[in-house]
Amino acid sequence: MSDEIRQDAPMEEKGMQEGSTDSEPKKAQLTNAELELLADEMGASGIGEVKRIGYFSLIGRRFVRQRSAMTGLVILALLALLAIFGPHIAPFTYTDPDFTALNVPPNATHWFGTDGGGFDLFASVVHGLGRSLAIGLIYSILTTIIAAVVGTSIAYVRGIPEKIGMWLLDMLLIIPSFLLVAMVVRAASGTQGWAMLIVGLTAFGWIGYARTLRTMALSLRERDYVRAAKYMGVSPLKTIVRHLIPNLGSILILDTVLGVIGGINSETAYSFLGLGIKAPDTSLGYLLSQGSSAMLSAPWIVLIPSVVLIVLCVSMQLIGDGLRDALDPYSRAAGSVEDDADEDDSSN
Amino acid sequence: MARFVGYIAKRVLSYMVMIFVATSLTYFLASAFMSPRSNYESRTPRPPQESIEASLNATNLNDKTPILERYKTWLGNIATHWDWGKTPTGSSVNEEMSSRLAASVQLMTLATVISIVVGVSLGVYTAQRQYQWQDRFFGGMASLFMVVPTVVLAILIVFFAIEVNQLAGTRLFYVTGLSSYDGTNPFMALLDFLQHILLPTVVLTIISSVGYHLGQRTYLLDEMHADYVRTARAKGLTRKQAIRKHALRASLIPTAVSVAFSIAGIFTGAVMTEKIFAIHGLGEYFINCINNNNIHGAVAVAAFSGACTLVGALLADLFAAALDPRIKMS
Repeated sequence: MSDEIRQDAPMEEKGMQEGSTDSEPKKAQLTNAELELLADEMGASGIGEVKRIGYFSLIGRRFVRQRSAMTGLVILALLALLAIFGPHIAPFTYTDPDFTALNVPPNATHWFGTDGGGFDLFASVVHGLGRSLAIGLIYSILTTIIAAVVGTSIAYVRGIPEKIGMWLLDMLLIIPSFLLVAMVVRAASGTQGWAMLIVGLTAFGWIGYARTLRTMALSLRERDYVRAAKYMGVSPLKTIVRHLIPNLGSILILDTVLGVIGGINSETAYSFLGLGIKAPDTSLGYLLSQGSSAMLSAPWIVLIPSVVLIVLCVSMQLIGDGLRDALDPYSRAAGSVEDDADEDDSSN
Repeated sequence: MARFVGYIAKRVLSYMVMIFVATSLTYFLASAFMSPRSNYESRTPRPPQESIEASLNATNLNDKTPILERYKTWLGNIATHWDWGKTPTGSSVNEEMSSRLAASVQLMTLATVISIVVGVSLGVYTAQRQYQWQDRFFGGMASLFMVVPTVVLAILIVFFAIEVNQLAGTRLFYVTGLSSYDGTNPFMALLDFLQHILLPTVVLTIISSVGYHLGQRTYLLDEMHADYVRTARAKGLTRKQAIRKHALRASLIPTAVSVAFSIAGIFTGAVMTEKIFAIHGLGEYFINCINNNNIHGAVAVAAFSGACTLVGALLADLFAAALDPRIKMS
């Protein structure tokens, strides 16, 4: 048994031989996989050398290995802290105008300056940042869940229901979702606007995504384990939740992270057009629309939210890229030196 | 050939049904969420009740008439006179849309052509230099431009243009509208048009060329590692020849498909860019419709953009069939 495995993986064996010097010579000849098998034979508590890594800790390890991804994560964490604690450390709130300081540039009292109405820009930006983060996260998670359930269900049912489902998705796609979202959100009041924006964005944001996931589920539904579940009488809903969706897991995680950027971009666009978040509430998009009318006299009103938005989106992008590499079994993030040599050999 | 025509006819028919259902759905949703009545009621002084009802009835927007009855009148007018209804102020949606269509086409044609050329050439250029500094540089730029919100990008470009104008002491760039020259000199008129259209075109080009760049790079890299390219190399072609004669051709198919989709976008305009640069195109009209409770206008724009999307989808099918010998119409 172990001889066969040794022939299959000569590369790893060599690596192990060089890598582990302090363990017994006989055991050093074995690969990690063989050690695992040995451990299984000897019972659960087995030999100490075997180190099992779960899927998520493996992904986590590969993620941490990448410098750009960690940079993104640190920036995002700082921004999140700013959004959470910023309102408490700011000397002003975003709702109280300071009439003694109208349109002043950034200074010691007003860290980011004030706008034409005397509203403190730091307080507004921090509040808007929180709004953007909340909208991006909630929107992304909700659309992923809806798209995953609908997309895989359509793929699973086959036949006429599948045709009808695809036809409906196609039809929903050709109505400009911009119009629908704007109509839903416009009816909302100022303070509830951000919740309605999430509802509107989510209600029409999952459609294109569900189509993509359905295409991916097409190959999954042919797998033996899905068929086995079906013939064992497992209910369709359970099959979808237990077998189809978890096997799209890595794609779903990645798209959730990148979807946050989409949510933030949409919030900015709608609020800028006056269709999303409105006064008395504030958001980064709303601040941009306020600042764009006073670009010459008070450039900081438009520049500061712009920079915050760019930093936020780029940090999410870095995290997404890092996650993509961590989830990709063929990527460079996968391995140590000898793994890389192995990879180069096989690709040439 | 006959089979091909039959296939296209079937697709077109299915698309027409889809547009009809989608447009009707939009009509009902818009009627539920928008209230043209409030346009009149919020006027000061408030017009007398009879006059409000009369205006709403004249434009077929009265929410006291049953929705199905309004829908029937609206649909009848489209079917018999191609009349897409009236705005709450009583003007014709057809006229308003056709005047704005020209501005959108002017803006989008140039931007679409440039972004395809720039995006595809960057994609081909970087794919041949995978992981070299050129690839890393343009790839980094692309992923930056991909995530930065359009609003932010446009506003920053406007900001720097204004700074440049101030430094130069003269107006090099215009940041609103498409023309401001009233004279008769055709050369000056062209120059004026170029000064206006430059910045919005830059914004649109940056946004849409990113997609072509990254897409084309991926497709070409896929093809470059295919067996037939290796065969071509083995038969003695240089790397460049093998790429140009074999890999490039195959890699252009998916790009052509996405180009087909974007051609349809020429007519629907760009909502954000038109709003920021105050260009009175269809995109801006759409926002105005939503803000002014212009139900018929919004539905007409939605139907138009739906039709454009489906024409794009049909074009994409045809492009793929024409370019890819493996695709058989069935």
